[in-house]
Amino acid sequence: MRTRLVTATALALALTMTAAAAQSAKSTLTIDLPGDAATLDPHLQWNTDSYIVYRNIFDNLLTRDADGNIVPQIASAWTYENDTTLLFTIRDDVTFQDGTPLTAEDVAFSINRIIDPELKSPQLSQFDQIEKAEAVSPTEVRVTTKSPYPALLAQLVKLSIVPKAYVEKVGNEAFNLKPMGSGPYALTEWQKGVQTTLKANPDYWRVKPPFETVIFRAVPDVSTRIADLRTGKADLIREVPPDQALTLKDAPDVQVLSVPTERIGYLYINAQAGPTADVRVRQAIAYAIDRQGLVDALLEGYGTPVDILGAPPVFGYTDAIEGYPFDPDKARALLKEAGAEGAELEFLTSPAYNQTLVEAIQQMLNDVGFNTKITMTDQPTFLKRRQGAPEEAGSIAVGAWSCACQDADGIIFPLFRSGSLWAKYSNPEYDALVDEARATLDTDRRLELYRKAYEILNEDVPGIGLYQVHAIYGASAKLKWKPTPNESMFVTDMSWSE
Amino acid sequence: MLRYAASRLIQALIAMFGVLTIVFVVMHLSGDPTLLLVPQGASAEMVAQLRHQLGFDQPIWRQYLDYLGALAQLDFGMSVVQRIPALDIVLSRLPYTFMLAAGALLVALGVGIPVGIVMAVRRGGWLENTLAAIVATGQSVPTFLSGILLILVFAVVLRWLPTSGVGDWRSLIMPSIALGGLAMATFARMTRISILDELGKDYVRAARARGLSLGGTVFRHVLRNAAIPVISIAALEIGNLLAGAVIIETVFAWPGIGQLAIQSIQSRDFLVVQVIVLLISFIYVATSVLADLVYALVDPRIRLAR
Repeated sequence: MRTRLVTATALALALTMTAAAAQSAKSTLTIDLPGDAATLDPHLQWNTDSYIVYRNIFDNLLTRDADGNIVPQIASAWTYENDTTLLFTIRDDVTFQDGTPLTAEDVAFSINRIIDPELKSPQLSQFDQIEKAEAVSPTEVRVTTKSPYPALLAQLVKLSIVPKAYVEKVGNEAFNLKPMGSGPYALTEWQKGVQTTLKANPDYWRVKPPFETVIFRAVPDVSTRIADLRTGKADLIREVPPDQALTLKDAPDVQVLSVPTERIGYLYINAQAGPTADVRVRQAIAYAIDRQGLVDALLEGYGTPVDILGAPPVFGYTDAIEGYPFDPDKARALLKEAGAEGAELEFLTSPAYNQTLVEAIQQMLNDVGFNTKITMTDQPTFLKRRQGAPEEAGSIAVGAWSCACQDADGIIFPLFRSGSLWAKYSNPEYDALVDEARATLDTDRRLELYRKAYEILNEDVPGIGLYQVHAIYGASAKLKWKPTPNESMFVTDMSWSE
Repeated sequence: MLRYAASRLIQALIAMFGVLTIVFVVMHLSGDPTLLLVPQGASAEMVAQLRHQLGFDQPIWRQYLDYLGALAQLDFGMSVVQRIPALDIVLSRLPYTFMLAAGALLVALGVGIPVGIVMAVRRGGWLENTLAAIVATGQSVPTFLSGILLILVFAVVLRWLPTSGVGDWRSLIMPSIALGGLAMATFARMTRISILDELGKDYVRAARARGLSLGGTVFRHVLRNAAIPVISIAALEIGNLLAGAVIIETVFAWPGIGQLAIQSIQSRDFLVVQVIVLLISFIYVATSVLADLVYALVDPRIRLAR
């Protein structure tokens, strides 16, 4: 029923889009987000609440279609000149909201701006493989990478194009407060901490924006977001917890929208210190966890159990690997074999993570003979320990990983490649595989490398995938929208039917 | 008077400086914002680079001295998260905090004092018992619960009031009641005790002997005398209302400095937190000075003694 509903919604959406008849009687769409945008300069902060807003103001160089394929947006085509040079053809019919045309100069400027250390962009790590960008003609940009870099296109999906002349004229600080792009919506007012109001850009080149005005409100408390939705103060709300989604389903005039995302709930296991340095202990942990049980009981089905630390929307994902089935007896046997019965595990966590999940896993582990102690700290302290020396990094921790790039390179490289902050694991064979996969453009070869890498991870268990996270939204029954695996909210993908 | 004021001011400055230093040290010891700012998966070099750019790789004493140096020139610094001046961020939230505090104070005084008077005058009757129950409820129901209950009843079921956020005056009603509830209970109890105290005094008996009714006595003579302890409580409460609305502001999506404080602490936006801390300690100092002045205004004995 669910899938049929989603398919029907997608079909209806596709029809309205092709007819360009996204004409709706409703003029103002109100969206409740948990927080205010931190910055509206798309080259600065990279949290969900910020990019949901600014991505409606700007166009990106590339984007993803409904199936997750990388497709043109500002760049209409691209070709590899060699392994480290890409030539992008830029559309010549796009204008910024002040009427000036968008040219290759703006694209080159945007790329060079985000990699400029002066900007101190927290997003730099996503683009640091780029050496430079230069406009070779008004409609062509050449991008050079430091080495062959297969994830480049996936990263450039996240690059918003900013107007060179305007940014240079007003300066970075003013640009953040009064951003101007070429996207379907223009900023009307940003009441910090309260709401951001956007109005439709009538000259938008791609489609006619479906709503005259869009308001993004900052509503931190989930009960309040739900009350807003039920009273019609909000038409769409983000981040609904699974148990609340159940009750919301039965409310009148309201629908629950959900989508499996590229985000993966996982359990990290310290392979370099403490009792978990023994691979048998790590395997015992993997056998002890009932992933299906976690999804059913805690996520109310809003999750899909996975065997590896990856999910179908991610390049490099493979279903060829059989993970660890739930087998407490085997776990106990392994534990006995390792002489680690009653071993004390330190379970690091912070309020940013689902505490019922943490406690359920603790229970499962204690059931097979571990002695699991939860250490709860605030998020900065958690990160400091988790990313610190192996001796400090606890035995296990849960997380929900997304690189927003839908590529295994953004997941298992930072999590497990020796030397990276998150890795408490080192295996030269594994390192060689992910290094090569990072530096080759041959997609078949990359798939093979990642399959091998996932096999090694499955043997060594420096972490296990638990489930694919489903994003849950509450919406007015009249809103037509199909949420995407990368958790963005493009208003042009939405429509309204009375 | 002047010497008294000067010594109070110096005390206040020392207190504010102390609070500032403690907060600075505690915040910096528990991690910096770099790890929260970078995307998941950033390499160690990238994190180190950003940390260096933001200046968090300096030793803490160095950062502290730099901070004090800038502060001496009234430079409150830039928010590392929002990339705009920290002072601007806090000042933009301040009107909402004042609005909410005023609304809550109105509820607290407007309901609390009459209730306290009635409870004192009708001591032992059924009315006092009923009101006492209401006051006890106001005092004991946690604000996150009363806030959600108010939203459920008046916004979701009855649809009389907007659920959340800022808008016209109607959006101020529920957060004011939720926030003012606790202070209302305090005012009611204080008013009751302080009137009962006065009612036992000779001048009341004299007034009653002259044939003045109980109500007339209370309104003409007792209230003025009973006001002094209530004013000192009010001064404390104003500080609480301005600084202590964190939960209410979160529940009602009210963009005051309480909500900002929580968010800034969570995101380790140090300089914004520092400005808020400075501001709140300043508010406490200012309200207590204000209370002293009002005392003098109400009670000629205090005025003349100094």
